[in-house]
Amino acid sequence: MTENNFNRRDFLKITAVGVTALTGLRMIDRAEASSGEVGAHQWAMVIDQSKCIGCGYCTLACRAHNDVPQDISWNQVIQVEDIDGKDVFIPRPCMHCAKAPCVDVCPVKASYYRPDGIVMMDYDRCIGCRYCEAACPYNARAFNWKAFTEPNPVVPEWGQPEVERRGRGVVEKCSFCYQRIDRGLELGLTPGVDEGATPACVVICPVGARFFGDLKDPESNVSKLLRERVSYQLRIDLGTSPRVYYLPSEPQGA
Amino acid sequence: MMKKLALKLPKFTPWLGWVVFLCLVIGAGVVAGLIVFWKGLSVTNLTDLVPWGLWIAIDLTSIAISAGAFSLCAGVYLIGLKRYQPVARTATFIGLIGYSMALLTLLMDIGRPDRFWHAIVYWNKHSLLWEVTMCVTLYLTVLVFETMPIFAKMEWLKKRFPKLAKIMNGTHHYAPYLAVVGLGLSMLHQSSLGAMYGVLKARPLWYRPDISVLFIYSAVAAGMSVTIFVSMLSARLSKKIKVDDTLLERVAYFIGWMLVGYLYFRFWDALSMTYTYEPGRTEGLRLLTSGPLSFNFWVGEMLLGIVIPMILLLNNRTRSLPVWRMLALALVVGGVVAYRWDTNLSGFLVVLSYLPGQPVITYTKYVPSLIEFLAGFGVVAYGFLAVSLGVRYLKVVDHTEEIEEEHAHELELTKTIPV
Repeated sequence: MTENNFNRRDFLKITAVGVTALTGLRMIDRAEASSGEVGAHQWAMVIDQSKCIGCGYCTLACRAHNDVPQDISWNQVIQVEDIDGKDVFIPRPCMHCAKAPCVDVCPVKASYYRPDGIVMMDYDRCIGCRYCEAACPYNARAFNWKAFTEPNPVVPEWGQPEVERRGRGVVEKCSFCYQRIDRGLELGLTPGVDEGATPACVVICPVGARFFGDLKDPESNVSKLLRERVSYQLRIDLGTSPRVYYLPSEPQGA
Repeated sequence: MMKKLALKLPKFTPWLGWVVFLCLVIGAGVVAGLIVFWKGLSVTNLTDLVPWGLWIAIDLTSIAISAGAFSLCAGVYLIGLKRYQPVARTATFIGLIGYSMALLTLLMDIGRPDRFWHAIVYWNKHSLLWEVTMCVTLYLTVLVFETMPIFAKMEWLKKRFPKLAKIMNGTHHYAPYLAVVGLGLSMLHQSSLGAMYGVLKARPLWYRPDISVLFIYSAVAAGMSVTIFVSMLSARLSKKIKVDDTLLERVAYFIGWMLVGYLYFRFWDALSMTYTYEPGRTEGLRLLTSGPLSFNFWVGEMLLGIVIPMILLLNNRTRSLPVWRMLALALVVGGVVAYRWDTNLSGFLVVLSYLPGQPVITYTKYVPSLIEFLAGFGVVAYGFLAVSLGVRYLKVVDHTEEIEEEHAHELELTKTIPV
């Protein structure tokens, strides 16, 4: 009888060790968070701060084309400083990080990587826990605290909605106008070159401060710009590898 | 006529007053909850910069105070401290209620409550929140099985469904196995709740590994404290409820020593953050130590939450006096509540800039709205009511129960095994 009891204890011990080992394995697995498969295209945006005048047209066009409510901006234009009396702006869309914290933390994979590098939101899957908002270093995400039912005041002046309006209770963000890219590619257009296949903010920019294109194509305008000019990304120290690049107004550190 | 009517009305007792009071709070909470579902989360004071607030604090706390269940069950069934079995029983019931409180709060807090099941279907195994959701769901199932023998003791059930009651009571045979599973699941999610904050690189104050250890450690202390407090209070309020005070006193003594360790961990945790300047972290720490959260931190968390109860529980004289011991246990729980609240808020109140060359720190503000308070208190009142009813009608606190034969046998055996 005593022996029997020991056997049970041993069983319990083995189970406990097993559970611990499984936990450990899962932790290791978690540490190897992947950034998804790499597709034929890798979309990126380049924003030239020396050209940006802070007019905010990009925000308005974005709001119309993506049917974004008034209190949310997928693309925010922030005045950062002035150099010799000239205002300098940072337009901030979603960075579409190659290692996106929001994708890692989402409990339901409502945030995910497309093969072309776009960090997408599945609005039918999002449960509205807002963990991604806490995780995003760029405040690029916005929660739909209330339902957006009224007509969009920037439509049709700044464009026509191309995507479904998000309902109450989900987090939304910039999608690099994936709908324009996808439709454009189907029609044989080149995103970044043909207006119909390029994000609305890039198309509307009156001073041509925004560029869009494929990093995989060495001859695309973004690849060329990044080769020729000095550029930087926001908070690369966090290891997020953003896909939005900025061309500084003045050489950094001057 | 009047006399007849008066007879029909139940006599006013403190018990009735307590239940009516809780029901009123729950009623207000239900109304607030319905408003939340109807109007959406715009009725809260939460923002995109402070997306988690009071409800998350309640959520974290109710899971923390449920930690007595897994730790005491592990003590009883895995370590072999069989005589604490009645204490573990109380803890298990409190655990069940605690987790149901957490789920209720979470249901209100997520934007799409109708999609609560998504985490169970769409797995993102890289997400700590997914892991927490899975563990909490599974552990709630474990708790249901663990508390089945308690519900099986209900007179009504025994009379009405004797077979069912027998089956339900039979689950106690699996208690050791349930304890193993419960230990594993709890070790995972109790610490992951802290790690949820700890893995966010964008929030320097949170971004550190020890938050997870502190969460599970403080949860065990708070969970045991709640269990002992409820047991002692029940025994004081009702003469029918018998407790073995030596058991409760031993656990309280253990909590006292746990607090020594907790103070030590907290000390190094705080100290390791103070050296060298790191944007966001230093500011967050300053909010805690000298800013708007400083009273919570120094008085709520440290003095009242750790130091005073530690002294009260380790000092033989105060620990043996029920009033002092109960005060100390309540303070431990209060300290953990303050810790959860401060942890959540301190990270959100400091927003680090992502603009180049501008380590500008933005400070945000958050004070819960009335609806948040009402709904939150409603959930808390539900917890109080459920535990009160359990103590009164399910004999959740009862140390007189005879240890079942096989257990008595095992008890003998464990005694003969030299430690």
